[in-house]
Amino acid sequence: MKDKLEGLLKDALAELAAASTEAGLQELRVKYLGKKGELTAVMKGLGGLTPEERPVIGQVVNTVKGQLEEAFDSRAALIREQVKNERLANERIDVTLPGRRTVTGSKHPITLVTEEICSIFSALGFGVAEGPEIEHDFYNFEALNFPKDHPARDMQDTFFVAENVLLRTHTSPVQVRTMLKQPPPVRIIAPGTVYRCDSDATHSPMFHQVEGLMVDKGITFGDLKGILTLFTSQLFGSDIGVRLRPSFFPFTEPSAEVDIACVICRGKGCRVCKETGWLEILGAGMVDPEVYRHVGYDAEQYTGFAFGMGIERIAMLKYGIADMRLLFENDLRFLKQF
Amino acid sequence: MIVTYNWIKEFVDCDLPAAELSHLLTMLGLEVERMEEVGGGMDDVVVAQVVERNQHPNADKLSLCKVDDGSGGELLSIVCGAQNFKAGDKVALAKIGATLPGDFKIKRSKIRGEESFGMLCSERELALSDESSGIMILPQDFKLGVPLFNALGTKDVIFEIGLTPNRADCLSVAGVAREIAAKLGKKVHYPGLEVKETGAPIESIAQVAIDAPDLCPRYTARHITGCTLAPSPTWLANRLRDAGIRSINNIVDVTNYVLLEYGHPLHAFDFKLLSGGKIVVAAAGEGEQFHTLDGQERTLSASDLTIRDGEKAVALAGIMGGGNSEINDATTEVLLESAYFNPSAIRRTSKRLGIHTESSHRFERGTDVAGLTRALDRAAQLIAELSGGRIAKGVIDVYPEPIAPRTIPARLARINAVSGLSLTAAEVKDMFERLEFQVAETEAGVFKVQVPLFRVDLEREIDLVEEVVRLNGFEKVEATLPQASVLSDLPSPQLRLGSRIKDLLVSHGLSEVINYSFVAPTSCEKILLAEDDFRRKGVPLLNPISDELSVMRTTLLPGLLETAVKNINFRTLDLRIFEMRRIYIPSETNDLGLPDEPMCLAALFTGRRDPEGWNQAKGNLDFFDVKGIVESILDELNIGGVNYVADELDPYFHPGKACRVKSGNRELGSFGELHPSVQENYGIDQVLYYLELNFGKLIACRKEMGSAQVPSRFPSTFRDIAMLLPETTPAAEILASVKSVKADELEGVELFDLYTGGNIPKGEKSIAIRVRYGSKERTLTDDEVTKLHQRVIATLQKKLNVSFR
Repeated sequence: MKDKLEGLLKDALAELAAASTEAGLQELRVKYLGKKGELTAVMKGLGGLTPEERPVIGQVVNTVKGQLEEAFDSRAALIREQVKNERLANERIDVTLPGRRTVTGSKHPITLVTEEICSIFSALGFGVAEGPEIEHDFYNFEALNFPKDHPARDMQDTFFVAENVLLRTHTSPVQVRTMLKQPPPVRIIAPGTVYRCDSDATHSPMFHQVEGLMVDKGITFGDLKGILTLFTSQLFGSDIGVRLRPSFFPFTEPSAEVDIACVICRGKGCRVCKETGWLEILGAGMVDPEVYRHVGYDAEQYTGFAFGMGIERIAMLKYGIADMRLLFENDLRFLKQF
Repeated sequence: MIVTYNWIKEFVDCDLPAAELSHLLTMLGLEVERMEEVGGGMDDVVVAQVVERNQHPNADKLSLCKVDDGSGGELLSIVCGAQNFKAGDKVALAKIGATLPGDFKIKRSKIRGEESFGMLCSERELALSDESSGIMILPQDFKLGVPLFNALGTKDVIFEIGLTPNRADCLSVAGVAREIAAKLGKKVHYPGLEVKETGAPIESIAQVAIDAPDLCPRYTARHITGCTLAPSPTWLANRLRDAGIRSINNIVDVTNYVLLEYGHPLHAFDFKLLSGGKIVVAAAGEGEQFHTLDGQERTLSASDLTIRDGEKAVALAGIMGGGNSEINDATTEVLLESAYFNPSAIRRTSKRLGIHTESSHRFERGTDVAGLTRALDRAAQLIAELSGGRIAKGVIDVYPEPIAPRTIPARLARINAVSGLSLTAAEVKDMFERLEFQVAETEAGVFKVQVPLFRVDLEREIDLVEEVVRLNGFEKVEATLPQASVLSDLPSPQLRLGSRIKDLLVSHGLSEVINYSFVAPTSCEKILLAEDDFRRKGVPLLNPISDELSVMRTTLLPGLLETAVKNINFRTLDLRIFEMRRIYIPSETNDLGLPDEPMCLAALFTGRRDPEGWNQAKGNLDFFDVKGIVESILDELNIGGVNYVADELDPYFHPGKACRVKSGNRELGSFGELHPSVQENYGIDQVLYYLELNFGKLIACRKEMGSAQVPSRFPSTFRDIAMLLPETTPAAEILASVKSVKADELEGVELFDLYTGGNIPKGEKSIAIRVRYGSKERTLTDDEVTKLHQRVIATLQKKLNVSFR
């Protein structure tokens, strides 16, 4: 019996060593360890042994069984490892094939720039106000010190809807509406759509502005300069040069145009800045006392500043767009870049 | 406004390099938009002298010359074809390497066997004039070797200044010079006036009366006789040319020259054509016909101011003269007008008639009522000099109520408070004086400032504050940060959530577009709006750019469709675009007559669902892609209880594949497939889906999110139900029936399969749902789940005509 068992073990180990696939291994496992397997058959013969022989042979059976199982397991592990290594050696994909995509969208550059400007001023404590685009002459001109029959009105070619109703030519009427609604102090910006009858490579009949207004006690022209310097450095980088130069707007005095050093040539002079080294990006000034009179603020007690900028202009500079009309052609091949 | 450096130098001593002067002007508020050097450049064309002139050995008509170019080197051999010169003449020599106008390069060359080291030039070759009959012979006192244009003095710099409308005083060379003088602390010197009055007293020749002194406070005139009309001399014609004005003759040109010089418009009449030798300044007759000198027939109104003679209108005051009295070839006697007109009156007439001239441009901005005689004298003197005329004795000056200069109070404290500067009274006073203001300091830091009449823009203290800050230099103001006393409100929900919804749409693959707010009136028809639809009553513009852009939109649909057409034409066939912008709906309740401007969110979809690719799913977008986006928006805004209603659709939708979105009885918007006729009207060959939501109403319906729910710590169990139902039973009813089972353990339900056709009986559909069960306290047993599931099945059976598969 014992010899038989040992012979069985020897045969099994020999066959096992020759097995090279998981299927072959499984076959051997059935042959030796299965319900109808050879070891099971031997064990069935244990019943015919004497009570003295039984424990001895039983122990041998267990030892053989244990050795066989261990041998099977380790062979199985070896084969699995081989199979895995083989798989890893053979499986290859073309990683240069394009990935699986979902459709991607984009915000309009005008929106992106507006949001960026708003967030800069938001961090400086400015609230956001809005007003109608179809506006009354009073808010768009009269209260902003553009008298009727005044050449200053020629600065802004106006679309009219009725005698005193027009498409706002700037976001400045929001200043008036805000001041009429609340007493000072005021600190707001007003982004919005504006209109002028003008259409060429640098003018669009519809465009966008952001207006700013700050009124309080003790606000100076120096403060205006400070806020705008901070703003332009946030928007265009801290090393960008800024200059204010005298200009004219009926609703501010002193009035200034704000230039930044040309973002293309860094001030050396190029086609974009017309060889001046400077780019005009903002109009600004101290709120004119005449505006305070219209909104009932005390001009002796309060001073303040206002500024306004064209979003298109800034978007064009930021993204190097030469023709403003591109912004309104809505060609997705253009818009998807943003 | 164009000025030249040489002209400015006649008024102020200034030797700054042109670029520095340009910067100085810009920083004074006179923005130099263009700077151009003219009459210079050709530095290789120099003053030279012909030392010998010999016959060319091989050509009868050519000379072989020896020329001294002033360099001190050898004499140059030069072949020349001109006949108008002799040895000793000073001439213009283009040296080897010079480039003449027309990109003509001078090279060493051999002409009929003789070498030539340069070229002697004619005026035409140097683009100085059309004169080409011979070479230029220069004055003997020109220094050899000097660049020709330096010697001629034609080298100049043109500054084109973009003037703001307040600075009427700078619409002249003298005005710009005044600014430079003020900045540099110099004095302006005006050209000397020497009016030789040799004729009879003017009163015996002409009479002037003002009928409308409010519109014309002052009228002055001089009379010149014996004039001979001729072309203007080159210096005068060149100055006008540089300023962009065409030279006409020696009389008209002088009026324009003085206009540019002093900013004061003048008019010259042919005196013989003035009936009765009279001038009357009076309103036009209503409907009066008048021929302006540009040949146009104008219909005047009673509010237009005219200059008249004894019988008729002879000029549209301050704007343009009449054809009936203009300077002509037969003119020998001139009446020269220099007047002051009311700015508003000139502007009204100029606007109404659509005539904008150099003259009206200045009068409507305000001219110098005190300085008009200086302009008159200057012009009379120049006309007499250039045309050989004789000036009558005296000036007619009708000035019934002289206008006094303004005196404006100004406080030093205010100047410093507004500017943030710390100027002293002495510094401020000095600046005022440099600006030609008369200043008295009545008490410490308080000034009385009398401003000259040419500064029509200065009326109030703040105007003087600006003058000080401007002249002192904006760059001297220190940048500071304000002491803020308030923090403002956060942006409105509309703005804040608008940005969030845009982000959401972008994440769903939509691209934002921005269309013009004005559309073509025909767009209403193209989107099939009924005759009485309120959206046909958009706000029209009175002065649109074109008919295509003439009405304020009442819906975003036409703009999106136009955008789709454009993109499809560029072969971008897969589109998902959105626009979140205002529409404009006339309001009957607005006091000011302003329309409502609701914020609208609209999107248009067409083409494939996924990008094209080797491993991408195929298939086109459909209604349910759009609905999924609507659902995302509603989720984002936490809006529940929404119904999708498939009736009373807008006419631009497919009647069977669209719906309205309602929350309670609030109409939030609608979406679905567009009507095939809309597609046809825009010539689009693919199915389109459209979505529009009233953003304001969405915001109004939105709920703030409540407390967050803690998820169950025990696993859920899923059970599926497959069923057959009539095809017409809405899916929403099935889901609602399941949800109507009141049990906390019923956690959710998904509709995961829909099938018709095949072995499904006609008129029926197969639907499969998956119900999720679970508890927060424990894992449910199989029995518990089965019991619940039986309740769900029983409910479905009871509520719907359903059979289970």
